[in-house]
Amino acid sequence: MWNIIVQIFPYAIAFTIPLLITALGGLYSERSGVVNIGLDGLMIVGAFTGALTIFKLQPILPDAAIWIGLLAAMIAGILFSLLHAFASINLNANQVISGTAINMIAGALTVFLARNITGSGNIRIISGFGRNDIPVLSSIPVIGKLFFTQTYASTWLVLLILLISTFVLYKTAFGLRLRACGEHPHAADSAGVNVYKVRYIAVMISGAFSGLGGAVMLVTFSGEFTGNVAGLGFLALAALIFGQWKPLGILGATFFFGFASTIANVSQVVPVLAAIPGLILKVFPYIVTLIALVIFSKSSQAPRAAGEPFDHGKR
Amino acid sequence: MVKKSIALVLSIMMVMTLFAGCSGAGGSGGLKVGMVTDSGTIDDKSFNQGTWEGVNKAADELKLDKQKNIKYLKPTGTTEADYLKEITNLHDAGYKFIVCPGFKFSSAIFKAQDKYSDTKFVLIDAAPNSGEKGAKDVVKPNTVSVFFAEHESGFLGGVAVALQLKEGDVGFIGGMEIPPVQKFNWGFQQGIKYANENLGTKINIKAENVVYQGSFDNVAAGQQLAAQMYDKGVKLIFTAAGGVGVGAINEAKARAKAGKQVWIMGVDVDQYADGIYEGDKSIILTSAMKKVDQAAADMIKAEKDGKFPGGQTIVFDSKNNGVGIPAKNPNLTEDTTKKVGEIFKKIQAGEIKVSAEKGDLIK
Repeated sequence: MWNIIVQIFPYAIAFTIPLLITALGGLYSERSGVVNIGLDGLMIVGAFTGALTIFKLQPILPDAAIWIGLLAAMIAGILFSLLHAFASINLNANQVISGTAINMIAGALTVFLARNITGSGNIRIISGFGRNDIPVLSSIPVIGKLFFTQTYASTWLVLLILLISTFVLYKTAFGLRLRACGEHPHAADSAGVNVYKVRYIAVMISGAFSGLGGAVMLVTFSGEFTGNVAGLGFLALAALIFGQWKPLGILGATFFFGFASTIANVSQVVPVLAAIPGLILKVFPYIVTLIALVIFSKSSQAPRAAGEPFDHGKR
Repeated sequence: MVKKSIALVLSIMMVMTLFAGCSGAGGSGGLKVGMVTDSGTIDDKSFNQGTWEGVNKAADELKLDKQKNIKYLKPTGTTEADYLKEITNLHDAGYKFIVCPGFKFSSAIFKAQDKYSDTKFVLIDAAPNSGEKGAKDVVKPNTVSVFFAEHESGFLGGVAVALQLKEGDVGFIGGMEIPPVQKFNWGFQQGIKYANENLGTKINIKAENVVYQGSFDNVAAGQQLAAQMYDKGVKLIFTAAGGVGVGAINEAKARAKAGKQVWIMGVDVDQYADGIYEGDKSIILTSAMKKVDQAAADMIKAEKDGKFPGGQTIVFDSKNNGVGIPAKNPNLTEDTTKKVGEIFKKIQAGEIKVSAEKGDLIK
């Protein structure tokens, strides 16, 4: 059993990371009071931009191409999220509808662009990140095997971002203001906080992180842009709620999803697991999520003002 | 004001969708060929793309206007109703020759061939069937049903793999458990067995290393399954699984880059280029091909010549070069290629019979 866990672990983490960073992006947005259902669309935009950039650059700059691709994906995510920000912050539009629009436009627009630029709706990159063992740390007993072997560079980048985010959200003035905007924007406003600005920044961060999530998925396991991200954006949204809008909560929730779905995927080839019907393993994470949501519904920590447009003149 | 403009936009959109359905209805004369894609996109580097390339090839040879005379539509879903809707759209727009690649079109074509008796249908990988329990296949005179001998393709691939690797474990990852995929698997196992018995190789397939993932698009699962197999010492995986195969190929590439030797056998088309990880080195040992493009092009040309084989079920196998491995396999030695060529001739001559049934094979 231990062997199986060790073997599965790197792949479970690889699947977790794009979910984690996207859910973290969603956390910024929702904590500032803007519901962002468009995470999936923003991921698609990121995956597309990343794929296109890497595809074009890899022949010229084989080493730097992937990093430039990740950066480009973040920028594209920011630009695209501005649509959502403008509609939901300036125009006071319904945030769910605006997010849905993002999802719909992203899938169609990126395939259209891909076809016009490369001649094919699928963009395949030559190679993504390689996997490396971390020197020294990987030889620590037990945890070395689990966490420090076969890791992607992007995994450490995302974990670093998570760490910084936790600090920013809870230990800085900006973090406090951001959370205040999500709980009671008028109170924040009367204290001199520019709610519009804070929300804009939060939505842009969510765009950047989701774009990065899409690109990370591309350079670690998918290797190909196909016009969708297999619904990972929605899974990230579920993880955000499951994780109760807290950074460590979503780390746990996304890892749970990642690990459970990896187990379900490989169960067929692992004799020990093959005894359990695959269907049960596949639906397991979703059933648990449903149950958890029912249990948590009483004590839900959702930002109180999430989904409400902020109107300066209205009290 | 806002309401008015929304209403305006909506009505414009509705009118545009109406016209979109009719575009190309006028156009120049000549044969108009339509295609409806199966699940996946037109550039899936596999089934849909192969068929579409065949349509294009035929259009080139017959000097059809590619803007007006050929068209593909992508259904919004993969149900019979989705497929029928696009078939109707093509029919109404004047495309009276419709190519449908994929097992899942079976029941849609069953209905369409009656409803649109003035239209010719080419159904690849399936025969029209009502889908009811115990129902017989019905190929009407305006339909031709095209099958491939995937088992022969898999067999040849299996022999090539066995000859090249000599000994060790191999595995198989399939997409959905449907006949075209199963036949690849069964042929592959028979090929390995044949090589073990007659050509002195020692290749082993364990039952746990033969799996059907259950979809054609779960890239992550493809990677994870491949990783587990490689970790258990499997040297080569035969992937007949669309996007799931893409994940497996990525895993193999990552391992090859790290200096480990792992292989994939590709499917449907020559996937060598997809497996390139460095320079021109690829992890694709060879590919078990079925020449969908050739099938589509042949049928269109037959129609142009007035020889459309309506009502028939046609099998593309090694006899008419409809299946096989690529002409060029940079990863196979000359010796292997030569021997596989001999086996291919034996299958063509009927000396070796590859069964399309499961028999006592794994899964």
